[in-house]
Amino acid sequence: AMDPVEHAVRLIYKGLRPPRMRLRSLVPELPSPMTAFFLVLASYFLVVSGIIYDVIVEPPGIGSRQDPVTGAIRPVVFLPGRVNGQYIIEGLSSGFMFVLGGMGIVALDLATHKGWSKNVRMSFGLGGIAAVVIAYAMSVLFIRIKIPAYLH
Amino acid sequence: MERSSSKVGNGQASKISASPNDDQGIFRRAKRSIDDLITQARRFRLKTKQQELLIRVSALLLIYVLAFATRLFSVLRYESVIHEFDPYFNYRTTLYLTQKGFYEFWNWFDYESWYPLGRIIGGTLYPGLMVTAALLYWTLRLLSFAVHIRDVCVLTAPFFASNTAMVGYFFGKELKDPGTGLVAAAFLAICPGYISRSVAGSYDNEGVAIFALLLTFYLFVKAVNTGSLAWAVASAFAYFYMVSAWGGYIFIINLLPIYVLVLLVTGRYSLRLYVAYNTLYVLGMLLAMQIRFVGFQHVQSGEHMAAMGVFFLMQVFYLVNWVKSMVEPKLFQAFLKIAVIVTGGAGALALGVGMATGYISPWTGRFYSLLDPTYAKDHIPIIASVSEHQPTAWSSFMFDYHLLLFLFPAGLFFCFRRPTDATIFIMIYGLTSLYFAGVMVRLILVATPAVCLIGAIAVSSTLKNVCGLLREKPVGKVLERQGKDKSKGGSDQSIPFQREACIVVLAGALYLLTSYALHCTWVTSEAYSSPSIVLAARQSNGDRVIFDDFREAYFWLQHNTPPDAKVMSWWDYGYQITAMGNRTVIVDNNTWNNTHIATVGRAMSSYEDEAYEIMRSLDVDYVLVVFGGVTGYSSDDINKFLWMVRIGGGVFPVIKESDYLNNGEYRIDAAAAPKMLECLMYKLCYYRFGEVSTEYGKPPGWDRARGTVIGKKDFELEYLDEAFTTSNWIVRIYKLKPPANRK
Repeated sequence: AMDPVEHAVRLIYKGLRPPRMRLRSLVPELPSPMTAFFLVLASYFLVVSGIIYDVIVEPPGIGSRQDPVTGAIRPVVFLPGRVNGQYIIEGLSSGFMFVLGGMGIVALDLATHKGWSKNVRMSFGLGGIAAVVIAYAMSVLFIRIKIPAYLH
Repeated sequence: MERSSSKVGNGQASKISASPNDDQGIFRRAKRSIDDLITQARRFRLKTKQQELLIRVSALLLIYVLAFATRLFSVLRYESVIHEFDPYFNYRTTLYLTQKGFYEFWNWFDYESWYPLGRIIGGTLYPGLMVTAALLYWTLRLLSFAVHIRDVCVLTAPFFASNTAMVGYFFGKELKDPGTGLVAAAFLAICPGYISRSVAGSYDNEGVAIFALLLTFYLFVKAVNTGSLAWAVASAFAYFYMVSAWGGYIFIINLLPIYVLVLLVTGRYSLRLYVAYNTLYVLGMLLAMQIRFVGFQHVQSGEHMAAMGVFFLMQVFYLVNWVKSMVEPKLFQAFLKIAVIVTGGAGALALGVGMATGYISPWTGRFYSLLDPTYAKDHIPIIASVSEHQPTAWSSFMFDYHLLLFLFPAGLFFCFRRPTDATIFIMIYGLTSLYFAGVMVRLILVATPAVCLIGAIAVSSTLKNVCGLLREKPVGKVLERQGKDKSKGGSDQSIPFQREACIVVLAGALYLLTSYALHCTWVTSEAYSSPSIVLAARQSNGDRVIFDDFREAYFWLQHNTPPDAKVMSWWDYGYQITAMGNRTVIVDNNTWNNTHIATVGRAMSSYEDEAYEIMRSLDVDYVLVVFGGVTGYSSDDINKFLWMVRIGGGVFPVIKESDYLNNGEYRIDAAAAPKMLECLMYKLCYYRFGEVSTEYGKPPGWDRARGTVIGKKDFELEYLDEAFTTSNWIVRIYKLKPPANRK
């Protein structure tokens, strides 16, 4: 027994014809999860580097101060004095460190994958540990330079 | 007699015969009693499942206490006092609520602020926080604890922070497993991004709102996972609590449609999603309309239209799926084409008609500036002037998140590898909120729960894998058991020194998590526990010196001015003056009327006679300025002066910013612009300052906050009298002279 609504739909479509339009499928193919992940990672890198701060406040790429003794202009990488301020290059390098650390942890997890050969797993494991160590050490170093009173 | 003696004799005989083995007997008896004890204790031995439950419950209890305790630094260092500016308004309204009752509170018209306009407080605030604190107060009073409402207000935020950590545990459990939940709760308890707005004394909407936000999201995800109507109704009520607590509910009502759209696009439409979203939307919308401040915005405002659009889209999806199940494919394709065209057309038409007739209002500036960050800088100076609204630099992220910044991309990877409905939600929540956190420092708070949860997924997954490797049986024994089945082994799968490497990784994880805890505690103690109303500084010999000038000035106002006196100051201090000084103010932190603020800004930046006319027209009796020249306090009115000029000049073109600049800079020394040296703000801040010696080795009139000597030292005030200057010159109050009798 058919649904009354199905009856109605069939009746309507006896007379109604859809227009003959050559519409391609407007919905693009979905990207694979890994492609999406790399896109997301790139945007995370940009946001965490403070790109919005760079666009609005427009700080210089790197700061400068004059050496009091020699009179030469020396570059200053980290904007001193406050927590919420940066130069462009210091932002990008810190962002890179964060992403490096994240990828190190991913590599560590991939090293536990059972199906791969011994060499691949070992290189992932060692690379992962190295990445995490370097990234964490550099990030702590950066923040210590920026905020001299850190952890005191 | 004989028998007894023989008995005695026997007894003695047996005793005598046992005496060489006495020690052994005692020893045997002792061993037996210990064995008995152990067997009895074994009866209480827990099974593994019970052990796990005990560990989990005790961990959660410790996390609960930790979240509360870490927020108590300022209470222990200073006293139980309300911090900052906005909390003073919230405290005043809560006081009113507990004294006068809910009806008076809901219909309150406040004539003591925004003189002479007044403010409809009942209709322009989010009552959730005040009602929550009042309920806690009444409950404690009912249990006959004689607490003061101020202490309840001060400790509301830490209490709700502990509750948020608990909700984080349940959310983590829903996302993956109880281990993730525990890690998430631990991260949430001490994350500085959350602590900054929920420390004891910070009696602000966000303290309660983040709890409501996470609760709404948790209940919604639970509803999507189970498809149960009960959970969906619960999430609607949690959404109602969020709407009553904070204007940030806009984030929820826009995030949920985005989540639904992503699920639809990735082909995860299901009846569970239908039930969850529709229930939350309809019921939540109806409940939200009970808050006067929100009113009918859910159907009228452009910011809420995404939710409505997705609501109708869900109905279309359901209809299309239903028809698909009934009809054969060819007919269905035709039906689908017509349906898409009709839906798209009707939706566009409705939106167009709504916006053209003005029924649907466009996005307000506050939220539009999140989508287009450059908008506020050019168009709305009031929003641009707030320091919390500045975009975020990398160091703020590192300060507030530390280790979580590394764990976030790793957690995203784990979520992408095995997506479920719940992990897709947390990913979308994390990414959108992190973007908004990049636009505005203040919104790091909203991103914190997502970052903690995703970080917890990373930590839990990695630790699980590593511990699994660690507990693997060694390779030799496995091969023995497999016997001839060596092909499975192939090239030896496990890495050399596997156990050692796993132990190294575990030790590294322990070190990283410990440093996270140390960092969070240091940040909380040094950066986020200052009450702002009391300033502290270190002298050169290391002693701590406390400046309590603000409260000194407000209490002077309360005791030494007539009760109907009106005080003019910059809008930052309005709430504090009304709450502590109990006097009427002209403008306060609500900043709802830009022209009124511009009038005050114009008065502050005009010459003294023009300013006097403006102040007489506003019926001002006292003027209050904040001055940091003696102490070096850098958030004083001279540093805020550029905003007074910009906001005043935005409404009154007679104030031109170029008049106050010298070479594009605001200066107050000898090279200052002439109008700058004559304006009211300069005169009020630096009156009699030319005679004061602030630092050893510097001339008198040395401004410690700007680092120069002031330009004009010797001048008199024509229309004002100095009424009060606090002990460290931080707050200065002036009284207006009555108009001259004969001109």
